Order: sequence, then C-alpha cells, then structure tokens
Amino acid sequence: MTATLTASRETPPGTARPRRGKRGRAGTRPRTFYLFVGPWIAGFVLLTLFPLGYAFWMSLTNTDGLSPHWSYVGMDNYVRVFQDGQTLASLGRTGIFMLATVPTGVAAGLLMAVMLNRDFKGRALFRALFYLPAVVPGVAAALTFKIIFDKNAGAANAAIGAVGGEPISWLADPWVRSVLILMMLWGVGGSMIVSLAALQDVPKELLEAARVDGAGPVYSFFKITLPILSPIIFFQVVTGVIGSLQVFVPSLLLAPVNGAAAVTAVPEGNYFFMVHVYAEYFAKSHFGYASALLWVLFLFVLLITGIVFKIGNRAVFYGGVDPSERKEG
Amino acid sequence: MNVDFARRARMTALYIALITLAVIFSGPLGWLILTSLKAPNELSVFPIQLFPETPQWHNYLDALTYIDFLGYARNSLILATLSSVLTTISSAWMAYGFARLSAPGKKFWFGLLISTMMMPGIITLIPTYLMFAKLGFVDTYIPWILWGLSGAAYMIFLFRQFFSGMPKELEEAAVLDGCGHVRIFWKIFIPQSWPVLAACMVLTFTASWGDFIAPSLLLSDETTTLAVKMTAGYVNEKGFPVQNLLAAGSTMFILPVLLLFLFFQRFFVQGFSTSGLK
Repeated sequence: MTATLTASRETPPGTARPRRGKRGRAGTRPRTFYLFVGPWIAGFVLLTLFPLGYAFWMSLTNTDGLSPHWSYVGMDNYVRVFQDGQTLASLGRTGIFMLATVPTGVAAGLLMAVMLNRDFKGRALFRALFYLPAVVPGVAAALTFKIIFDKNAGAANAAIGAVGGEPISWLADPWVRSVLILMMLWGVGGSMIVSLAALQDVPKELLEAARVDGAGPVYSFFKITLPILSPIIFFQVVTGVIGSLQVFVPSLLLAPVNGAAAVTAVPEGNYFFMVHVYAEYFAKSHFGYASALLWVLFLFVLLITGIVFKIGNRAVFYGGVDPSERKEG
Repeated sequence: MNVDFARRARMTALYIALITLAVIFSGPLGWLILTSLKAPNELSVFPIQLFPETPQWHNYLDALTYIDFLGYARNSLILATLSSVLTTISSAWMAYGFARLSAPGKKFWFGLLISTMMMPGIITLIPTYLMFAKLGFVDTYIPWILWGLSGAAYMIFLFRQFFSGMPKELEEAAVLDGCGHVRIFWKIFIPQSWPVLAACMVLTFTASWGDFIAPSLLLSDETTTLAVKMTAGYVNEKGFPVQNLLAAGSTMFILPVLLLFLFFQRFFVQGFSTSGLK
C-alpha cells in the first residue's frame, strides 16, 4: 500500500502507467512465483519434512539402524522417554543451563548496549572488542577455554596459584558446567549488537522530554526505553530458550576425549538433553528410542514457537521491519 | 561547574567499566596468543608464567606441519565457499519470489519460512545424516550442495526485506521493455543488493568455516574440515594435547574469520542486525 503511494508520487505527471496491464499479469502468474520459491519448498520437503518423518517412523520401531531385524513397537519409545531417569535428569540440567545463560545473557547484552549507546571517544573500539568473541567459531572458543581452564597449564589455575590456592580440575564435575556457561556468556556481544540496534529506535525527543520533566536516567530507562525494547528482548529470550534446549556441541567440545568417543566422555554436569539424544543414537545405537527423544524435543520447540506466534508475531517480526513501510510511516 | 563535574565523573566511571569489560572479553584470545608463543617447558611450570621468555614464533610453522593444516584449510575453504555462494544466490532467488511475485499459497509458504527460522537445525541434522548415509552421500560434498541450493530461511528473510524496499518502477520499466522476471532478478535486483549479498556471503562463509557437527558426522578424516581436525589433531603419542601448537593452530584457524569481521564490521553491526531482526 505504502509502496504504491510512493510509486505514484515519484512518477512524473503525465507518464502512462499501465498498472493493471502487462506487469499485473506477469506478477500474479503462480508459475513464476513457484519458479522462484520452488527450490526452497523442495529443500523444505526433502531436507526438513522427510528427515522428520523418517525419524518419526524410526521412533515407532526398535531399529538400531543396521540390523534388518526390527519390529514395530508403537508408542513404547515415547512412554520410555518419561520413565528414563537419564532423560529426565538431562532435561533438568538443560533447564538449569537455560536459566543460567538466557536471562544473564540478555541482561548483560542490554546493559553493554546501553553503555555504548552514546557518543564518546573509543566507542567503535569497545563495540568491536565486545562483539569479537561472538564471531569466534565455537570450536575455537572451546579450544581456547580448554587451554585457559587446563588443570596444569591454564590461566585460571595460575591465578588461583598466585593467591596460594590449590589447582582445580575445571574440566571435570562439578566445575565443567560453569566453564561452559562462562564460554557461552563470552559470546554475549551478539545479544549486545541486537539490543544496540534496537536502541537506535528509541526516539531521542521522548527521552529529552522526560529529562526536561525531571525524570532521571534510571526512571526513563525503565519507563521509556525498556517498554520500547520489549519486543526485541522477548525475541532474544525466545531464541535463547530454543537455543539452549539444543545445546550440545559445546558439551562435546569441552569433553576430555575428542572425536566420536567424546559423547561418552561428557562429564555429567554437561550431559544435556541433546547430548543424551546423540549418545542414544551413536554410542548405544538405540535409533528408535533416540528418534522418539528427538521428536519430543521437536514438539516442545513447536509448542514454544506456536505460543510465540500467538503472543508476539506482529511485535517481534513485523514491528517496523519492512523497510518500505518504515520510511513512509 | 557542578554539572560539568558530575558529567565528568560519570564518564570516568563509564570508561572504568568499559575498560574492565574490554580486558575480560579480550582475555581469552590474549591467553590463547600468549600460549601459542610459549616453549613446551613453559607450559606447565608452577607457578604458571604469563609471558613466554622468548616468543617461540616457530610454533606457528610447527602447527602447520603437526597436522596437514593447509590441506584441511583447503577442505574448509572449498566447503565454505561452495556453501556460501550457493546459499547466497539461492536465498536471493527465492526472496525475489516472496518479495515481488504473488500466487495462491504465498502467505502459507511465507509463514512456514518464518517458522523454520525458529527451528533448530540440530533436530533434523541427525535423521538427515542417516538419510544421506543410506543414499551414499557420506564423505562427499553433495549434502552441502543440496543445503546450499535450498537456501537458508534467515537469509531469504533478509533478502526479502531488502527487495521489498526497492522501488517498483525498477521492474515496471523492465517489464514494459519485455523483460522477464528471471532477467529482472539478475540484471536489476542482484546488482543493486551488493551490501546484503556481501553480508550473507560473509555470514554463511564464517558459519561453515566454524561448523563442527555436520562435517564430523558426514565427512571422513581425509575430507573433513579444519574445524573438526583442530579438535583432535594436536595431541602427542599419549593422547595429551600439545597446548602451544594447539594454541598456534587455533589462532590461525580464527584469523580468517577475524579478518572478514574487521573488513565487514559495518555489515555485521548495522546491515545485518538492523535489517534482519527488528
């Protein structure tokens, strides 16, 4: 709608504009649309829908992936999910991990964004320094943290030794989960950048008016900035929750053993839900049961996404997102 | 005067906080680089040394030969280039459809696209791997070609936002001249969207360069990427990590990503975060 208005405004008067002519027909031909969007649809069907269906089919059997002798077991695997102590324990750990990383990550990112959201010397440098760890690949971040928290040669134990403490086995229980959480929080710059971008949307006049009326910075932050930022904070919390549900690779990378055997060596503290799924698949060859676990996770994520769409669809995805609408509105 | 003093005090407090944070955030990479320059006997002395006595620059050369670093880097480069070029072009192609064309069912597909943005890829990865194994795609780059050709939901969304903002006159004139949509896409939209193309290229390249789980599932020791080899390669005969070479190798592994980041910082910081998420 707005785009049409712009178009008519910018067209020189007197120019013939065959709106409902050739273009209209070419634009609405479904074949053209599907020519362009088709590859994505094909990819969705073959690389998302089909694997999910394949996993669902496996989840109804007791297949081990290799042996031709398998049988249909109905919902047995799903019943087992809720009786398996390891599954429930790993879910609990995942929940703790989520609580330890998501709120702190979003809050720290927001705090850093607020600190950087003003003009001062060196702003770009600080912004780059804080964001840098977020672009470091996960593999390299894990290797770096393994070196820092190495029992014999690491910086952490060096610092403890300097004040006369005993060295700690950081990469074993119970400490390894803290190392993982620190490693995740090291990448908080990603959240900072998103919040910093959102802060540009807070109208300066509004903050100025509040200041003139005698509102302090803390008051205006909670009463003006935070409400305006709420959709983006909501979005970060949701992606954070979904992200932490599937946390898995960092656990593997911090394990004392490398390669395929790593999953069996993940310390208990980092044995999260997806680690359990991976172990059931590749360490125990319980393909049927592991597929059921995967489907439970999938349904859970679907549920969260559904709730998000119900609550915040417009606010999160379309709140001023369309550039053409933004410039006009 | 008083106001000025308060302002200055606030700025000083801000700088102290920022510098403290800067030290914390650059600390890990700083330690990585210090470790990469240490001699073997400096690694586990007690109390642990902060700085190497003389920087062992040859650690970097040794790290290149301890594993076939350049060979694996070449694998990573091929895979990341393949994946980023394909993903970028195909995402732009599909975004053009979502931004500029209409058909029955478009709303449905777009809603689906948005919801797959939230879907964790890890859920489909394991069954996809099992499927690819059955099809004999293991130890080939075919999976990455397929993933590339079908685009990435987030990138399609990014391009779609950008294309929607382009003036309609562009293609109207072209259609009057008898131009089809395929040509409009290549001749008008692609040349106009280089900032998004570059951002998408860089993001998918670095994601693929750093990816661990897909290559470790799908590729063998010969064809695998540097990211996978890094985690297991730098160990001695007893299986213990050779810390200084591992640190030197890690530094070199991060370097391309950091360089891309520095060159394209604007895109990372402004282009992608503002156009994509708000």
